[in-house]
This record gives sequence, C-alpha cells and structure tokens, in this order.
Amino acid sequence: MRNRIIGVIGVVVIVIIVAGLLRMTGMSVDKQAAGPAPKTPWGEPDLQGIWTDPYQTPLQRPEKFASKEFFTDEERAELDRQRAGIPRRDARVERGTERDVAGAYNAVFQSVRPTGKRTSLIVDPPNGRIPPLTPEAQKRNQAEREYRLALLQATVTCKNQDAACAGGKYSPPSPRRLEMPPIYNTGRTNRNDGPEDRANSERCMAAVLPDFGGFRRIVQSPGTVSILYDTGQGQGWQRVIPITQNPHVPSSMRQRFGDSRGHWEGNTLVVDVTNFSPKFSFLDARENLHLVERWTRVDSKTIEYAVTVEDPTTWTKPWTAKQELVQQDGEANRIYFEPRCHEGNYGMPTMLLGARTEERAFAKGQGPDPATKDTATDFGNEGGVDALTGNAGAIF
Amino acid sequence: MATRMTSSMIAVGIFSAVVGVAVGVALNRGAASGSRPARTADGKPNFSGVWQANNEAYWDLQAHEARAGVVTQPGVYPNYEFARVAAAPVAALGAAAGVPGSLGVVDGDGQIPYKPEAAAIKKENGENWIDRDPELKCYLPGTPRAMYMPYPFQIVQGTNKIEMAFTFANAARTIHLDKVEGPPDDTYMGHSVGHWENDTLVVDVTGFNGKNWFDRAGNFHSAALHLTERYTPITADAIRYEVTIEDPETFMRPWKISMPLYRRLESNVQLIEYPCIDFAEEFLYGHVRKKPLVTHWEGETMIVDITRKVPPGDRFFDWYRK
Repeated sequence: MRNRIIGVIGVVVIVIIVAGLLRMTGMSVDKQAAGPAPKTPWGEPDLQGIWTDPYQTPLQRPEKFASKEFFTDEERAELDRQRAGIPRRDARVERGTERDVAGAYNAVFQSVRPTGKRTSLIVDPPNGRIPPLTPEAQKRNQAEREYRLALLQATVTCKNQDAACAGGKYSPPSPRRLEMPPIYNTGRTNRNDGPEDRANSERCMAAVLPDFGGFRRIVQSPGTVSILYDTGQGQGWQRVIPITQNPHVPSSMRQRFGDSRGHWEGNTLVVDVTNFSPKFSFLDARENLHLVERWTRVDSKTIEYAVTVEDPTTWTKPWTAKQELVQQDGEANRIYFEPRCHEGNYGMPTMLLGARTEERAFAKGQGPDPATKDTATDFGNEGGVDALTGNAGAIF
Repeated sequence: MATRMTSSMIAVGIFSAVVGVAVGVALNRGAASGSRPARTADGKPNFSGVWQANNEAYWDLQAHEARAGVVTQPGVYPNYEFARVAAAPVAALGAAAGVPGSLGVVDGDGQIPYKPEAAAIKKENGENWIDRDPELKCYLPGTPRAMYMPYPFQIVQGTNKIEMAFTFANAARTIHLDKVEGPPDDTYMGHSVGHWENDTLVVDVTGFNGKNWFDRAGNFHSAALHLTERYTPITADAIRYEVTIEDPETFMRPWKISMPLYRRLESNVQLIEYPCIDFAEEFLYGHVRKKPLVTHWEGETMIVDITRKVPPGDRFFDWYRK
C-alpha cells in the first residue's frame, strides 16, 4: 500500500533534497504580501500561470500526528532539520549485491520538499485518513496481494522476511506465475513476461487524476480551462476542461483521465470528473472513481485546490484533500513541459530482454531460476525514516 | 388558399431552420456571430475552439496521385512505378489500405526542395514506412505534423499564452505571447513564441530535436528546422494556416505549406483521448515478451501473417448465381 501511494503521488517530482531546495527545484515562494485574486479580461476568475505546491504534506495524517491538524513554524523547522539529517538513498549496503546496484537511483533522484503547514492533505474526514475500504475493495485488494506474494515467495525478500513480503511465506516458485493477475495490473509484479507485468510508471503511464505533485500550467479562454501537468519522469499530460452544462460522455466510454465538466461558482472552478478507465488506478479506485475538484484563486499568488474523492465500490464514504498551489515564475520554460518518457523508454525493452536472457541461462543450467529474483519490491530502505512521512527510502 | 398556407408554412419552416442552425453554431463559437471571426476581449482574433485540418497532408504533403497501399511492392511490371501493388502488411485490407491522391499542401509546384542526399533518405523512409515512422510508435508527433493529423485538436487562447491540446498522443504546445526563457533542451513539439501582425498570429518555432517526420510518406527534417507559422482568420470557422519551413541541412531553400483549419461544429464537440502508448507496446516490445502475441518474430523483426478468408456466400460463383 505504501508503495502504491508513493507510486501515485510520489512518482511526481523526482527532484532534489531539503533546504535551499526551493531554489534548486526552481520553485519559488514569494514573501511579499499577496494582492486580490485577479479576473480575466472577460470577467472570470483568472487561474492562469504555472503552479505548484512547494511543501511536502503526506496525503494521510501519520499516526504520530493523530491529534494535530497543523504544525507550528517551530515544529516544521525541527522536522526539516531531522529530515535533512538522514542519508536516504545515499545509504549503501553490501557492495556488489543487487540491493546495492538498485541504489544507483540515489538521493539525488529523491524529491524532498520542506514540511508544509498541514499534517495531511486530507481534511475530511477530520482524522486526515482515507475512510475504510468497502468489503468489496478489501476482497479485491486481498486477491491482488495474494497474487503478488505468490510471485514473490521464492525470493530473498521473503527469505529475509522483509516488510515487502509481509503476510507471505518463503517457498519454492508458485504455479501462480502462469496465471493472469486477478485484476488488470497497474503496479510492479515480480514477473516480467511482458510490459503488462510492469508498473504503469515503467510503461510511461504513471499520471492519474487527482494529482497532488509536480507543476501545472493553466491557460484559459472563455468556456475552457486547460491544464498541462508535469508529473515527473516525463509522464505529464495535457487536460482540457470544458465549461459546459452538457452531460458527461456515455458511460460506455472510459478514459484514462476521465471526462471533465466544469462550471464556475463565484471565484471557484468546480469540475466533475467521471468515466475513468479500469486500466488505471488512483489508490484503490478504478473505473468507478468520481471526483469533484474545486479550484479557487484565493489571492494573487495562491490557488486552493480541493478534491472530493468518491467511489462507493472502494471507500465507505467520500473524502476530501486540499492543497495550496503557489504561482511560479511565468517566464520559466522548463523542459518538463514536454512529457516524453515513452519516446525514451529504453528501460522497458531492456528489462524484458534481461528477463528473457535470464530464462535462457536458467534453462541451460547456467543461472538461477528467475522466479527466485525480486524485481518488484523496493530497495534502498536503509537510509533512515523520514520524520514527516514515516517512509524509508522509496523513490518510485 | 391551400397554396398560400403551404408557402407561408415553408417560409416559417425555413426561418426556424436557419435560426436553429445559427443558434447552434453561435453556441459552439462563443462570441462569434455570422461569418465574422470571433474576437478576444482585447480585439485580437480568437482562435479558441476545436479544429481539424481536412486534407490528405497527413499521408503526404507533396502533390501525389493515389497509391495502392500505404506500403507497396513492385507488381508484375517491376520497372513501372505506377504499377506497384499493395504490399503484404496491408494487402489484406484491400481498397481500405490505399492512399488518397492530393494536390498537396506545398506552395508552388507541390514538391519539397530536398537536397539530393536528403531526397534519397526521403525515398528510403517512404519505402520503410512501417519500420521508421515515429507516428507508429506513438511518439510525440512534432510540429507542424500535429496540426494536420486526422484528429481534432483544441486551441485555448489565454491572455498571454495560447495552449494547443492534440488528440494524438496527448501532445501539447504552448505558444508564448509574452517574455519567456528559451528551452533548456531540444524538443519534439518545438519552442513556440508568437506575436500579432494585425489579424495574423505569427509563431516562430525552434528548438527541435530532429526526430519527427512531416507525414506518412517519409518527408522529414533535421534538428535545424525553423518554422514560421501564420494563423489568419478566414471566417469564424476557418483559419488560414501557413508555415514557412527552413532547414538548410535538409532543403535547398525555404518552402511553404498552406491549408485551412476548420472548426469542428458539432454542438457537443470535445477531444476524446487517443492514449496510444500501450497501443504501440506490441509493436515496440513484442519481441521481448515471454510468450509473443504476434507469433512470428525473427529477432527484433515482426512478421505479420495475414489471413483473409472469403466468407460463406461471398465467393465469386456464389455471388454470380444470385
């Protein structure tokens, strides 16, 4: 679960490390007082510009901050001091092991932003936690989890009883390796039969709605708001929100980013999003996801973004997350505005080719059974625990 | 009396039909009225809306006659170019696999002034279309190709940026009308900086990586490509789109394409995504699958065995007997 949250939210900004990091990531927080929220020449709230959330806030409130909705400035400074003090993925393990090689994506690739004001993006329910899963979703997750563990069971990860094997056992390769996953796979499985066994992020299809990371460029005209999302790893995407009373596209049509319908309520752009595709997942939700987004230009340099997330087949009740987006330098024209992961995805064919090579070697008795290797779970968790998020080293 | 009633009813009928059409069109056009181009709050032409080229440029920019297939092979007259037939990958698709003829969109004689060595590469590209065209891989289509692919695209004209959202591959362009940093790296879609010359939006496009083509015929350019695009309203629902194309590494002199872009007038028009990344995975990675879906591979080479069966009752003699 932790990996999946990171997969969705954290795929995002793969940038740099704490303190002085605003400068390094190109983010800016202007200290001057904000003016009133501007309007477009045609009289609508003006959302245009480049926006990002320069602070790090966990989606769900960590247990240890259970009683607290906001941090004080002192608490934030102390958390940042602690967070800057851990080696993260710069920590090395035994040289020459696979785990060590996997650490080649070292701390330089990690996004660690300064601690934000809120202890969680989730503001409703008031405990800052995603509501419990429905029995149906629990069953779905359980089936998927069992399948993943079956594919992992012959690996060193299970032998060592690592957290990634929790609930699983160490035993010879499972016959389930020949089975299809119980639902369309969007994460990393410990199998490399084809691109569908790898994570959507490895297939250059990581971005989903809602998106809480990265940068977005908003351009609007009367009747339309367009948002170009940069979601890291060159996997950003272009969205067009029509301001219309037209009904959603027919329910038989499913789209990766759903079908957006916007309208204005005072200073707020309200967007209703439905018609999502079963090939993509946001946390535990798929095609039944329903979002109501509220984009409010609260002052000259801030947009408040709030999204109510609903899926009665997944969560027992709707929940709402909120973040403040800060306007960035409008002259910046960084390459992240051209998402081109797919055009340079050498990783996918080489990963699959590597798997074929290992299978051939095994067949000739010249190498280990590929089923005993872990190519799915995260490495590099030796670099300390982040005092804010409670996460260890993961990057993707 | 009967006749008079009929004619006045017809008149009313025609009047309501005209009003109905006018209202429908006006809704889709926003501020536009009649055939006068829409204007923004500051009086510039307003290009916002969903647009699409309606020509054969995506097959081949140059003037060309119809071809038997998008890939062809020599027929029974191996020396006659005009007698080529559809090649194996598309032969089973019959008349649906050909390429329509066109006067092309290249100004002047309809031909691109390639340097001799570039002309040879273009010819080779065309002959190896399936192997080489980046469109088949779902790569970002590049500019100007994105502008005339057979998919709608949307223009969102903001106050200091114009965003273009393309159906194909979810590609996008941002045209900067204000001050902007140059691109830190070369790009597929180019770096676009625009300004107004009266009613014409002039966009200077540079910063290409040279990996795109112009069309499915193998017309190509290098990273030295420099475009000057001109967008001029013709009516509320049509834009004159002209591009001057310079690339001294590939062409002997600058050349120009021009075509209208048409507004999509459906009252419910919107972009419907064409998420082609996984559409192209078999094409790109099929050879390294454990169990290939396309069953015939020779190394990295995909060999497609095509079966076209004659359905019952459709054989010539059955048909003849009917």
